[in-house]
Amino acid sequence: MAFKDLLDDYGRRKQSALAMGGEEKLAKRKEQGNLNARERLDALLDAESFCESGLFAKSIRPEIRHKTPADGKIAGYGRIDGREVAVVSNDFTVVGASSSAINGKKIRHMREVASRRGLPLIFLGESAGARMPDRMGAAGRAMLGQDPAEYLRDRRTPWVSALLGDCYGSSTWYSCMSDFVVMRKGATMAVASSRVTSVAINQAVEAEDLGGWRLHTGETGLVDMAVDSDEEALEAVRTFLSYLPSHSAEAPPRLESPGSSEDAAERILDILPEVRNAVYDVRDIARCIVDKDSLFELKSRFGKSVMTGLARIDGRSVGILANNPKFKGGAIDVNAMRKAVSFLVMCDSYNLPIVFLVDQPGFLIGIDGEKRWAPGRIMNWMNAISLVTTPKISVILRKSYGQAYLNMGGGRNSDEVLAWPTADLGFVDPVLGVNMLHNLKREDDPERFDKLVEELKQDSTAYSLAELYETHAVIDPRETRQALMRLLEVHANKGGVGEHKLASWPTSY
Amino acid sequence: MADIEVKSDIAGAVWKILVEPGTKVEEDDTLMILESMKMEIPISAPEDGTVKSIALAEGDAVVEGQLVLVLSV
Repeated sequence: MAFKDLLDDYGRRKQSALAMGGEEKLAKRKEQGNLNARERLDALLDAESFCESGLFAKSIRPEIRHKTPADGKIAGYGRIDGREVAVVSNDFTVVGASSSAINGKKIRHMREVASRRGLPLIFLGESAGARMPDRMGAAGRAMLGQDPAEYLRDRRTPWVSALLGDCYGSSTWYSCMSDFVVMRKGATMAVASSRVTSVAINQAVEAEDLGGWRLHTGETGLVDMAVDSDEEALEAVRTFLSYLPSHSAEAPPRLESPGSSEDAAERILDILPEVRNAVYDVRDIARCIVDKDSLFELKSRFGKSVMTGLARIDGRSVGILANNPKFKGGAIDVNAMRKAVSFLVMCDSYNLPIVFLVDQPGFLIGIDGEKRWAPGRIMNWMNAISLVTTPKISVILRKSYGQAYLNMGGGRNSDEVLAWPTADLGFVDPVLGVNMLHNLKREDDPERFDKLVEELKQDSTAYSLAELYETHAVIDPRETRQALMRLLEVHANKGGVGEHKLASWPTSY
Repeated sequence: MADIEVKSDIAGAVWKILVEPGTKVEEDDTLMILESMKMEIPISAPEDGTVKSIALAEGDAVVEGQLVLVLSV
């Protein structure tokens, strides 16, 4: 055979690159039940679609070239449900997938192609941090920071991160710039490892406390979802991307609508309590409105009095931003504010119409909230909603009090405002209103008190709002889905691509 | 197995307790209902688990951040 030696050599080199960190390390991972970096790509991407970039890349340092196949970060293109994506899969078996001179070039290339050609970019995270020898001394400094766009996030295409092991350094940074972050329980994400941190602060730190799923889904909000296995995490990445366009210049894909869940319209009336002071889970209402099984909740353990999720209505992708009375009675606390703003930024960046489902007693006021910048965050939210150019449709289910009425799309802050007949739009709860306006408590004069409460209530119904054209329609709750289908159609007339005025906003709130 | 402390995220009074030690619960199941801000507000399970102990009785006042229940997960 012609070129036999050359082709044999090619085969050997390829095999050695595909062998990753060696059999022993790979076997150990398997024992722990975790996929390796190449198995993850197989699980994530459509079969046979992976087109690798940089298989023969190695460390810039000759002394470790033999043990750095692909230089620890496997990069390339693939398809998800037939759509092109760019992906970087960290190979922890190769010197901890540490960030180096060469694999930094690979990430940069994926980032540039993704932005230039309109591909979502996916990071499968598991990395130890900077590769020390590469980064030490003045020579190390001269290598870092040579790409001024390395940490620029302009949201031209969606970025998604899966945290699938120990994530420090690059995996952490890219997660924090991503639009969706899913974490496998047991993985950790932090600035530096618990070992480094323990040494630095001279105190033992557990990895789980430093950056486990409970911390990031419940307290920091930096992770959108926690799952039990690598496979579930990769499935979540695929599902998330199914709602989004490949890049900001196109509308989200429209799927064939499976219709709503059975009896959904009638069920709304069973879920919504007739008694004013009883609560319900707004996710149950949302599920009655959107396409069957299409609600994909984000940050479900964080700032729970606001619910954010992607969904489809008549096959069209939408973002649902809802108050959830089940938690804190729907009172909006600081974490809920942060969650709402980050969601508005994402919806605006990727042309997702926003549906507000409103039932809130106001912002949760108190010393803790003030200490955590509640006033600034409320205005940050208002600034964001004012800049959103994708369609905004607000549905007022029950109460909407105070300034938060505007934050939830009231007034001219939505393109369309719909109200259920159960809506109550006073500035405060009528009982509190009578306390303040008339300096009267119920025990002082129950008869007069009840009369005044009734008067205030009459003044703040859906119909009083509709008479002043402050709501565009009062609808039967059972007709909500139909009304939204029609209005989404109206507001998609220009093609459904917005101006993305929030695209360069910060990445963490 | 680890123990998780479930705390109230709101001030109020315990109106109804729906579980007892040994009850198996799933994430978001209602554990007890508080009366707060003139509403009945549930305290839900933060994750799947088994109720280990309950720190309050019906009628007790609760402040924000107070331990209400320990869950084994």
